[in-house]
Amino acid sequence: MIALVGYMVTVLLLSQRYLAPLLLFLGLVAVLTSSDSGPLTATYASVAGAMLPCSVWLTVTLIGLEDRAHRSIVVISAGSHLRVLLATVATAATGCLLLTAAGLVLPLMLGAHTPGLADLALGIAAQLTCACTGMAIGLVCSRLIFRRPGHALVLALVLLLAVLLGKGVSPVNIMLTRLQSASDSADVLAPTGALLAVTAGVLAAAVAVTQAVTRRKA
Amino acid sequence: MLRCDAVGKRYGAGRWVLRDVSMEVPAGDVLAVAGGNGSGKSTLLRILVGLSRPTTGSVSGRPSRIGYVPDRFTVHDRVTAISYLTHMGRIRGLSASAARARGHHLLERLSLVGGRDAPLRTLSKGNAQKVALAQALLVPPDLLVLDEPWSGLDVSAHGVLAESIDEVAVQGGSVVFTDHREAITETRARGVCTIDDGRVSLRGGRHTGSRPSTAELVLTAPPTDVTPIEVNWSALPGVTGVVQCGEEVVLRVSRERSDAVLLTALRHRWSVVSLTATADGRRSRGDARGTTR
Repeated sequence: MIALVGYMVTVLLLSQRYLAPLLLFLGLVAVLTSSDSGPLTATYASVAGAMLPCSVWLTVTLIGLEDRAHRSIVVISAGSHLRVLLATVATAATGCLLLTAAGLVLPLMLGAHTPGLADLALGIAAQLTCACTGMAIGLVCSRLIFRRPGHALVLALVLLLAVLLGKGVSPVNIMLTRLQSASDSADVLAPTGALLAVTAGVLAAAVAVTQAVTRRKA
Repeated sequence: MLRCDAVGKRYGAGRWVLRDVSMEVPAGDVLAVAGGNGSGKSTLLRILVGLSRPTTGSVSGRPSRIGYVPDRFTVHDRVTAISYLTHMGRIRGLSASAARARGHHLLERLSLVGGRDAPLRTLSKGNAQKVALAQALLVPPDLLVLDEPWSGLDVSAHGVLAESIDEVAVQGGSVVFTDHREAITETRARGVCTIDDGRVSLRGGRHTGSRPSTAELVLTAPPTDVTPIEVNWSALPGVTGVVQCGEEVVLRVSRERSDAVLLTALRHRWSVVSLTATADGRRSRGDARGTTR
């Protein structure tokens, strides 16, 4: 598994296709949080919102890097479709973790905040919740399921809007509205952690769906 | 032993690419799959290695160590050839240094031109094909599946490819490859499958003598005024069938006895019209057809 992730990271880095989602994320974070001195809960809510489209983009890009022949070779070498798919998710997660680190530190440098431990934990949990949702959307809208990038793009945008605006249904929407109105990170840390667990489940479901569709189509 | 049972394949609701394919690939065997463009060769190979699931039927006895060379090794990667092979070796469970050493060895043997440290995308078709072949051989496979491996390779690499195939077979691995040129499938494989209209039929290739096979011998009176001496053909050892077609006598002889029967015929002043090796009752080639008329 480590070898698979190492290979995918190498391919992603050399392709330089990670740059666009990375720059989008850094740009969004800079615009949304610069010279901001309000409570960190709202700041990290904005950062988490920025994480959502970037994690989708990163996942779709990563899966789109390899064509069918290459993927066949990797699948045969690794021994199973599922192992390669899990390694893809692990690689995307690695990228999202790096973005999370940037999203954690940048608002503190750009604005005037005095972060506590609970604030940082909340920042991580909130971003990872969005990253899990984003990776799930990215998987479902990837080349593994859609041959035509146009259809995949439309579906990705629809799903993104749905999870952002789905009041009371979408974990992302619930979390973001709660964080916007909260003032103390320690109060909202536990419910955010619960939502993170829910979105991790969503990601697992997306992996299962992708695996099932890939096997059926193969 | 790799075995297909009544395998059928269609994509979605499309036409049947393969229908009712049953075949076996014993360990140490080299099997060629012949057929025209779009006849389903690649689909059959993808099913054999487990990339595709058959719509009907099943594949059993698939070993865990498989080497697979796809029909198109399109390379957009900036990864260098040796780095690619090292990664693939590590994915297969080799240590980084062992994978690198093995990769260097294979690329040396295949004489990759264009540099091991050149990005894959800069390699020509033939050289990319060599990298694709090398990754399949990183770990000695129990099943080596090659989709049109000869296309794009230069002559020296042809030799190395044939050697590699033989090595895998000698070590007890099975080899299946495709090609649309009969000359290659017949010389390089021990058995040849032909796909036609989704159905697969098996016939002999190289070493057909090791299989129960017969020769078809067609004899006639010489064009000169010599009258051949009548022989009781069916009494000769190895003769399994005698048919009289006008002037010609068609004999079916077991391959082991065909030389003796031929000698008898020539001694009795018969002229040979043709001698054809057949396997499983089907004609496979006409080596000596008409040469002695």
